[in-house]
Amino acid sequence: MPIRYFMAIFACCGVFTATSVQASLKLPETVKVDPAALEFEPMCDPKIPASWRKAQVIEGVQIEASEHCSPDNPHLIAAVVKGTNNISMNTLMETGLSPDTVIKTDDIDGDGDPDRITIKLEVIELNGRTPDFEGLVPQFEIAPGITPGAWVFAPKTSGMSTENFESLRANYLLRLPSPVIRVEVGDIVRIVVENTHYFPHTIHLHGVDHPFSHHEYNGGKYGNDGVPQTSELDLMPGQSRVYEFQARQPGTMFYHCHVQTHTHLAMGLAGMIVVEENRPNNWLQTLNIGGGKVRHPSVAVKEHYDQEYDLQYHAMDKELSQIIQKYNDPRLIAREMNRRYDLTDATEDYYTLNGLSFPYTLRESMIIAEPDQKIKLRMLNSGGEFIAVHTHGHKATITHYDGVEQNPAARITRDVFDMAPAQRLDLLLNTTNDGLHNYGEGAWLFHDHREKGITTDGMSEGGSMSMITYKSYLDEIGMPVVAHGIDLSIYFTKEYYQRRLPIWQHLDEAGTLGAPGVRSGFNPETKTSMINLIGGFIVGLLIYLLITRRQNASAAMASVAAKIKGLKGGKANG
Amino acid sequence: MVKYLFIALIGLSVTGATALAQNSTDHSNHDKDHSGHSAHDHANHDHASDDHSHDHSEHDTDHSGHDHDHDDHSSMDHGHDHPMDAPGEHGMLHHDHDHTDHHAHGEHHHHGDGHIMDHEGTHIMGQNFDKLPSSCSSISEDIEITVRAGRKYAKKFPGTAFAFDQQEWRVKPCSRITWHFVNEDKVRHQFMMHGLPRYLYHLGMFHLENTGPRTVTGTMIVPAADETYLVHCDIAQHMEKGMKAQLVVGKGGENLPSIPGLTPYVLNDVYEAEDLPKVSDKANTGGKNAKPIMQQITDFFNDNVPISGLALTGLLLGFICAPLFARMIALRKKESSNA
Repeated sequence: MPIRYFMAIFACCGVFTATSVQASLKLPETVKVDPAALEFEPMCDPKIPASWRKAQVIEGVQIEASEHCSPDNPHLIAAVVKGTNNISMNTLMETGLSPDTVIKTDDIDGDGDPDRITIKLEVIELNGRTPDFEGLVPQFEIAPGITPGAWVFAPKTSGMSTENFESLRANYLLRLPSPVIRVEVGDIVRIVVENTHYFPHTIHLHGVDHPFSHHEYNGGKYGNDGVPQTSELDLMPGQSRVYEFQARQPGTMFYHCHVQTHTHLAMGLAGMIVVEENRPNNWLQTLNIGGGKVRHPSVAVKEHYDQEYDLQYHAMDKELSQIIQKYNDPRLIAREMNRRYDLTDATEDYYTLNGLSFPYTLRESMIIAEPDQKIKLRMLNSGGEFIAVHTHGHKATITHYDGVEQNPAARITRDVFDMAPAQRLDLLLNTTNDGLHNYGEGAWLFHDHREKGITTDGMSEGGSMSMITYKSYLDEIGMPVVAHGIDLSIYFTKEYYQRRLPIWQHLDEAGTLGAPGVRSGFNPETKTSMINLIGGFIVGLLIYLLITRRQNASAAMASVAAKIKGLKGGKANG
Repeated sequence: MVKYLFIALIGLSVTGATALAQNSTDHSNHDKDHSGHSAHDHANHDHASDDHSHDHSEHDTDHSGHDHDHDDHSSMDHGHDHPMDAPGEHGMLHHDHDHTDHHAHGEHHHHGDGHIMDHEGTHIMGQNFDKLPSSCSSISEDIEITVRAGRKYAKKFPGTAFAFDQQEWRVKPCSRITWHFVNEDKVRHQFMMHGLPRYLYHLGMFHLENTGPRTVTGTMIVPAADETYLVHCDIAQHMEKGMKAQLVVGKGGENLPSIPGLTPYVLNDVYEAEDLPKVSDKANTGGKNAKPIMQQITDFFNDNVPISGLALTGLLLGFICAPLFARMIALRKKESSNA
């Protein structure tokens, strides 16, 4: 009897296997993501008034035009050129700065510009944790949907840290990178750090001519070098400290926190500081928030150049930046960051130019050029690895290494600029179309040529890449005019950086690329599972049969045993 | 049987633990009550008391500024176009001119909606001396409250970095409160209140801000409804790391979360025991692998391991008790059968 059932089951399995083989011959269809399913951000931030882009005069300060789609606030530029103590309250209110952020007084050398400069910086956390809800405050995106936890030196501000009470987005002054600071040779500069953060910090003025002394400063208590092992104690939360210097040499320099430098620097407490040559009537743009185009360049720069840009390359590790998003208790954050985090096992994930990654770099860190210009680029690498910046369509000339001028006869003109961590290069970008310095107008990419430098968390297109865009290749909102059919707007979606947009799908009429759908029929794994299931079922049946027919079986066994016994008994008897 | 005993034991230990935890909360409640009292003390006190000058020996806080007369202020309320150098305004803010190189403007500025800022960035926003909320027919009481902000007040709340000296203030509906906000740190702090009626307070906010170690004074009137208002410092991570409090009007509304010592966090961190060196480690001269006795005791009471010391104790107890219980039950059965 049972034999029949078994036959039936085996037949079933056979049919089943045959159909599934049939199904697997056809591979899944290509699935196309409908653009209507994406949330496109405006390529330009609509909150920024178009009037900010024009050349203008505010508080008597000449401000150059900036065709970028996110130009700097011209009121802010006027405020930091004149000093927040020398402008009207109305202008100040347009900036969000505190009235004591940049104090400029005393023309000591009588050359028409102030020589005592006080700059107040706070330490601000971006994309940090809150114990009240799942979410980050205040939010700062380096690319659509990418919000690494970060710390910055920020100009002392006034009022809320977010745009308003309803918004979680950071006030525009609170952003990566730490601001570019500009002072003049001979200025008596006081950088006041007001530690508004919950951890200790300091400032080290890398490359700037500053005294070490811990005898003369801060009542003989603290030095000026920012190093907690040599010159001073860590600056604790709620405290402030003055770093004072009078630089004798100009150059593009670097400032950063020197407390737990292996983590604090990467967290974003690093910025560019430029000492400009001394000139009469040299009112400097003391802060360049967010770096990029300098809309009020120094007298010395204007002598030789048509434009000036500050470019800070920085890199951040995702795992490091997440620590402040995982814990709220400062003790736990300190333990994770400074005792358990192992920098030697870490990898950098976010590559930024002036605090942003592509495509946001296009908003404010494009070099907007015209033919036959001389453009000064100041570059700083504050990341943890070598970078190799390549300029498409151009070969630029290195004029300064680490702020020191290179002998003009020995200058190197090239198209890849390698920079070790903390190094600075000043470049002369000559847009003369001579086949050497420039190959003509265009929307030319410039990017870190270590290929991970053009990725965000390992996926391209992202990273620190930007463009040298000629005005003839610039549209009315300040975005590059790219070749026909290229759509940059897909990069302005969170879905792209969530890795949910199949590559090349929009190019592919044949449908040979794009995302495959789900296979119809059973996939091999399901098939294995099914076979296992059926196998198990059969074994189960067998066991059942064995148990129900136990009596028969035991009878059989008994008879066998009896036979053996009989044999044995026979032997024994025999 | 053993299983039930076990459950009973666990139940017992849980109750014990809760009792312990409650003890500690009770304690903090006491603290809270205490601080509540001191709030009222402050309120009744003349705020220009001596401890002010003790705390701020480095700058002379001009307390005469507090003795403002109300005529001046009521005139201020109307003024969008108020002259910059209105005499009434100077008394409002306390200055310390710590920068010799600082060219003081010596002027304060009105912006819309009662927003005043001086040349040092000291803010008063949403000041209201005499505009009654629609729910109030008159001012129920005039009180003054001094609020101190600083890192040192975080000391009593582990896991925070900044705090106010008090975490809750209770006032009667329709009271007029004059807040003296004392910043005891050398960085910016804010006293920012949200959720007030928008027809009286721009964006529903009352906001005092000190850019450094200074005092600022501002006055506002609370509505009649029982409500609890958020008070915090909005500088990045200051509220998250402890600078958060609430103003309870009347019976108050719902408590706000994550106020240090007062209300629980919505999202909690996970804490685990760390192997930190101790003096007792050094004293232990036993075998190399022998853990010091303190470590052993800590390990024993550690609840983060699958079978903790306490669970083992429970197990032992269970084994000892099981035969007893069995005998008891057997006896009882015998009795009942005998009966």
